[in-house]
Order: sequence, then structure tokens, then C-alpha cells
Amino acid sequence: MKIIACYSNKGGVGKTATSVNLAHAYAQAGKQVLLCDLDPQGASSFYFRVKPSKKLTEARFFEDVKRFTNAIRASDFEGLDVLPANLTFRDFDVFLSRMRNKRSRLKKALTSAGSDYDVIVLDCPPNFSTLSENIFKAADEIIVPVIPTTLSERTFDQLIRFFDENKLRKKKLRAFFSMVQLRKTLHHETMENMRTAYSKRFLQNSVPFAADIEKMGQHRAPVSTYAGRSPASAAYQALYDELENGVVSSK
Amino acid sequence: MKMKNAGFFVLPFLFNETTLDQMPEHLSVKIEPNSAPRSFTLLDCHDQSLRAKGRFLIQSDGMLQLLRSDGQSFIQHCEAKDQFAQDLPAGPVSSALKGFPVLRALIAVGQGEIQTNSLAILDDLQKTQVRGSVWSMSTDVGQVTVVGIEKLRGYERVFAKVCAVLAEKVAQGKRFEAVYQGLFPDMRPYHAKPDIHLGKNEPSIEVAADIIRTYLAVARQNEEGVIADTDTEFLHDYRVSLRKIRSVISLFKGVFSESQTVELKQLFSELMASTGRMRDLDVYLLEKDMYFKLIPPNLHAGLQAMFEQFQEERGQEFTRLKRRLRSAAYDKTMKDLNAVFDGPSQLEPGKNAQRGAYEYACALIWKRYRKVCKLARSISENTPDDLVHDLRIDCKKLRYLMEFFAPLFHAKDFKTIIKPLKRLQDNLGLFNDFSVQQAALLSFVSRYSTTQGRVDAQIGLAVGGLIAMMNQRQRAERDRVMSSFQQFDGPDIRHLFRSLFHQTEE
Repeated sequence: MKIIACYSNKGGVGKTATSVNLAHAYAQAGKQVLLCDLDPQGASSFYFRVKPSKKLTEARFFEDVKRFTNAIRASDFEGLDVLPANLTFRDFDVFLSRMRNKRSRLKKALTSAGSDYDVIVLDCPPNFSTLSENIFKAADEIIVPVIPTTLSERTFDQLIRFFDENKLRKKKLRAFFSMVQLRKTLHHETMENMRTAYSKRFLQNSVPFAADIEKMGQHRAPVSTYAGRSPASAAYQALYDELENGVVSSK
Repeated sequence: MKMKNAGFFVLPFLFNETTLDQMPEHLSVKIEPNSAPRSFTLLDCHDQSLRAKGRFLIQSDGMLQLLRSDGQSFIQHCEAKDQFAQDLPAGPVSSALKGFPVLRALIAVGQGEIQTNSLAILDDLQKTQVRGSVWSMSTDVGQVTVVGIEKLRGYERVFAKVCAVLAEKVAQGKRFEAVYQGLFPDMRPYHAKPDIHLGKNEPSIEVAADIIRTYLAVARQNEEGVIADTDTEFLHDYRVSLRKIRSVISLFKGVFSESQTVELKQLFSELMASTGRMRDLDVYLLEKDMYFKLIPPNLHAGLQAMFEQFQEERGQEFTRLKRRLRSAAYDKTMKDLNAVFDGPSQLEPGKNAQRGAYEYACALIWKRYRKVCKLARSISENTPDDLVHDLRIDCKKLRYLMEFFAPLFHAKDFKTIIKPLKRLQDNLGLFNDFSVQQAALLSFVSRYSTTQGRVDAQIGLAVGGLIAMMNQRQRAERDRVMSSFQQFDGPDIRHLFRSLFHQTEE
């Protein structure tokens, strides 16, 4: 089982869109995927038309693993389930530490038809002021969308420093440029600077700023299902290929 | 249809808008055709082994679709017709058909029309809560809808509701058989060994007539397949049926008059004789790979030549047999025979004709059993092979008698006896096969040698090698005969024979 966290210490960077489209790409590739919507706004659940589970907001939630797993919903796509979790920060921390503990009841209960999920995608809560060390320990890969602007550069610096200070494995960090607008000189320059400064942290592929991605809210579905031939859909697919197989498309 | 968490329903009508109209209001039913309606051909083996094992296989537009009684379905591309399950191109259907008889070809056994649809039950957000597929099928005489639905995680309640609605509408009868019965109510199943009802006090002549009439019908059901040369099992079943009839005539002593017994025996022997060579050749050709494995590759050239001869000869035999089966004379013979056994009027009763079936069976079986034992106990390592052949024939007669009369006896006891008998027979059968094959190989060589007795060197080498192998195997089987019999001759089996067939004198 692989845990992929979509994380950003800055809001509005396309994190949920990344979670949804990556989870879908993994499922399309034949993997059993659980997308945990840990966002209090339930954005990824919204994209899959899954209604938020009221029961899960209650405080004693973690005392009851069964209630937790009962909240898992099949999406409309083969192999892709959604857990509309809607957690508080404290619960989220507990959730992560238990997820990594093989003997915890939570870990044992998180199965798809009896066997482990191949991939668990965590759509992490966005606006944490504190960096969650647990995310970084629990996840095998941490996908960090970065909008190529000066402000994002600073936030990313903070993230790297946090890893350094806490002796965390920076290898897990897989950043990519999100909402890229190629006609903006600033975007070009920032991307160039950051790729030089953090050459090993950034994926080659980036995701453009695209109306098709914004339309996810209208369609309530992954981009590839309604705009399969769009550059946006291709970008997520390329991102998946690079993450999973290390393949960088030649275009 | 992926059916791990699934419901599977056979409805005796075509799916329409009202089928699921009892769903709660906030849910909507979406049906989308996967393709236009198209005609299909139902495939099965002649013995309907797919049906018997709960499979429904259709071919349409170059696609094979298989439905299994657990509700799972499979689809794959396949253009070819009249194939063996194991020769299908690799794919989900062919792997789901693994283990199906290798000797039986898939043939078209019915026609109809099919429309496949995907089914979704949606909530007010247009989120799928239950997913499924719908096969609407119809024939000239019936219609059936097969609905498979999938339970989606987190939406169990709606799934249960859909199941409940569909369950009220399902076809009567066994779940999967309903597909066949709905679409092909008149299809007659083929049984190579039909159940024959016998009464304990039924006069023996009637028992004989019942068995013969039944197997005549079985033989006739195979004629078409022999003529079409669909697979080798048609001829095999045809021969087995005739052999059984001949055995009844010769083993049920005194049931028919002596003259009629002689006449009938000869008639059935003649019927069988015209098929013997072709069956032998079929067996050689089926076992071709085995022969090639028996001798080293540098002798294969001669073997190849021999099998080419076999193939050619089989073609000639087939043409001859086909012509014979199609002839008016043959048809008349079979019709006349049928008339003879259809009512007792044309049968000439012998002195045992009126003996009650049970009493008569016990006497025949007991006598034959004693004969087998006497002969077998006299066999030692040095006994000539001829006696072993005699033992084989007596065992075979014992087995036939027991099978004919089996309905009159306790099934479990019979099974207990037949098991070691079968093992002994297998042993003796192999012994005989290897001996017959050596003789056949020798006669093959002499037929293909020149007038001076010279043989093609390659053929000679190959046949020589084979004969040596066959002889070794025959010896090995011969060495097992005594121990096989001892297993059959244990105190339990002896006791069972006595208690089943010879109670009177105890």
C-alpha cells in the first residue's frame, strides 16, 4: 500500500484538483484507490458527487473504526473509493499516525473487498498554519503543487527548511508547478529559479492554468472524463506517468 | 458485469421502463444500450455440458459472451465457428471455460436476438448508487432478461432495494436453468446414459426392450454429428450405445427366442462393424502427441508418415460411413429395429422372458461374478495372455450387467463395488490396448510393405520403436493384474456381492 499525500502549506494551489485527477489516473491504471477527503470543505467528495457523511464529524469518531470504514463510498469509477472524512486537525494527526501502524485497527479496517488498497491518496486540509510532521512521516510521497509566483517560492522555502530542521526525508517531496500561465514572464522566471534551486524536488511535468480544470466544479468529475483530449487532462496523465513510472513525456 | 458483490436475476420478460418503477422517488433509472439489437447463436457441446455446468455461451458479431451461473459474465473476440473450447483464442471467455471436455466441439444449438444495456440507478446528484448490466434476449419461442447488478461500497441500502424489486419478478425454477427454459423451452437435453426406470418385478423381456429402445434412440441422436464430423465423440457414443444393445442381447440369456437372439446379435454386430476401423483411427489420431513422445525425435519422420496414412485412411472410412448412414437401407434398418422394440408384439420371448427383473438380475450377476473370480484366481505370473484377455471380457460383461440393472439396487453399495472393479478393468483395458496396438502396428507395416516384404526404413524404425514401447507397457500392466484383482477380491467386496445378489442361500 502506498500513501500519497497531496499537500500544500499554501491555499488555492490546485491541491484538490490534483488529488481527484491523480486518484482517478491510478484507478484507470487498474489500481485499487482510496481517496481520503480530509478537507473540512469536502471538496474532493464534492467532485465525486459523494455526499458528506454527517456522522463522521462527531467527536468520538476515532473510537469507532467501523463507523469510519462504513463511511467509505464507491465513486462512479471502477477501483476508486472515496472517504469523505472532514476531520479536525487533532483527528487528522491521529488518523495519520494510525494509518502507518500496521497493527492499528484503523489500518486493518481500511481495505477494499478484503485486501489492502494499492494506493491511498490523502487530500490534506489546506490552510494549516503549522506544518504537520505526521503527514511527512506517514506519506510515501508528498505531492506539492506550487504556483510559480514569488509568494509560493517563499512558502516552498519554508517547507524545505522544515524538512531540514526536522531531519525528514526530502526525497519524499514531489513538487510540481501548478496553474502555470506560460504567457506570464514571472511564471517563467520563477520556474527557472526554483528548478535551479531545488532541482531534485520538482517533477518535469507541470499542470497549466486551464478553464477545463475550473470546470470540474460544474461537471463534478475528473477532467479526463469530460475533456479527455484537453491539455489539462494530458497534463495530469503525464504527472501520473512521471510519478508512477518515472516516465517524462517527450513533448 | 463484475460480480463479486453482486445480484443476478433472470426475468421471464424483456426489460422495460416499468421493471424498476417501484424505486424510491429521489432515485432515477438510467438504461443505455451498448449496441443495437443483434442476432446470436447459442453454443454448447452436443452433450450440453455447458448447460449442465451452469454456463450460457453465445456468439454474435464476432464476439463470444459467456454468462456463468454465479452471475459473472465474460466477453471476448472470436470469429471462428465449430471450435473446441480449448482451441478458442486466448481471452476471458476461453479462460473461464478451462476444464471443459477437450473432446467435445462447441456447436450451434440455438438462435436468438440479444440487446445488452448498461444500467445505473442515480441519486439526485446524478451519482451512481447501483450499477449493472441488462441482457435482453429473445427467441422465436421465448424471452428472458438477465440483470446483473453490482453493490457499490457505501450504497448498500439502495442495492438491497433494487434486489428486492427484481426478486419479485424473477422467473420460476432454478435460477440459471431459467435462462435456457425461458429462451429454449423445447430444447431436448442429450444424455449418453439416460436413466431407465425398471420395476423389480418387471418381466425381463420388458427390461431388455426398455434398455434397447433407449439406447437405439441415443445412437440415432448421434448420427447427425457423425455425418457432420463435428467431433469424435458422436461416433464414440454411437458405438457405445450399439455395444450396450448387443450386450443386452447376448447377456440376457433366454429372454428372446434363440433364433431371434442370433438374428439380432448379427444385425447389431454388422451395424458396429462398419464403424470399428474409423473409431480405431480416431483414437490413434487423438493420441498422436502421446505416440510422438514415446519414441526419440530421430524416429519421428516415420511416425509422421504413418500418421499421414492414418489421416488419409480416416478420410476414406469417414466417406464410407457417411454414405452408409445416409442410405435409405440404413434408415430402414433402424426404423425396423425401433418398431421391433417399441412394443412387445414383434419380440419372440424365450424361456426367461417372464422372470422378474430383480430375481433375474441377481442370478445373472452372481453367476458372472463367480465366473470372474474363478478365472481370476487361477491366474498366476505364468498364465498365458489369452486367459487375461478372457478375464477382461468377463469383467466387462459383469460391469455391463451391473450397470443395466443398477436402478434395482442400492446405489451406494453399487458404487462401492464398482470402484475396485473399474480399477481392475482399467488395468485389463490398458493391457488389452497395448496388445491390440502392437498387432495393429504390425499389420500397418505389412500393409505398407512391398510384395517382397520390404518396408520403408523410416516407417519400419518408428513402428519398431513403438512396438517395443507398447510391449513394455503391456508387460507392466500384466504384472499389475494379480494385485488389481486382489484389491477387488477383498472380504468386504465379497460380502457385498453375496448380500446384494445371493441372499437366498445365506
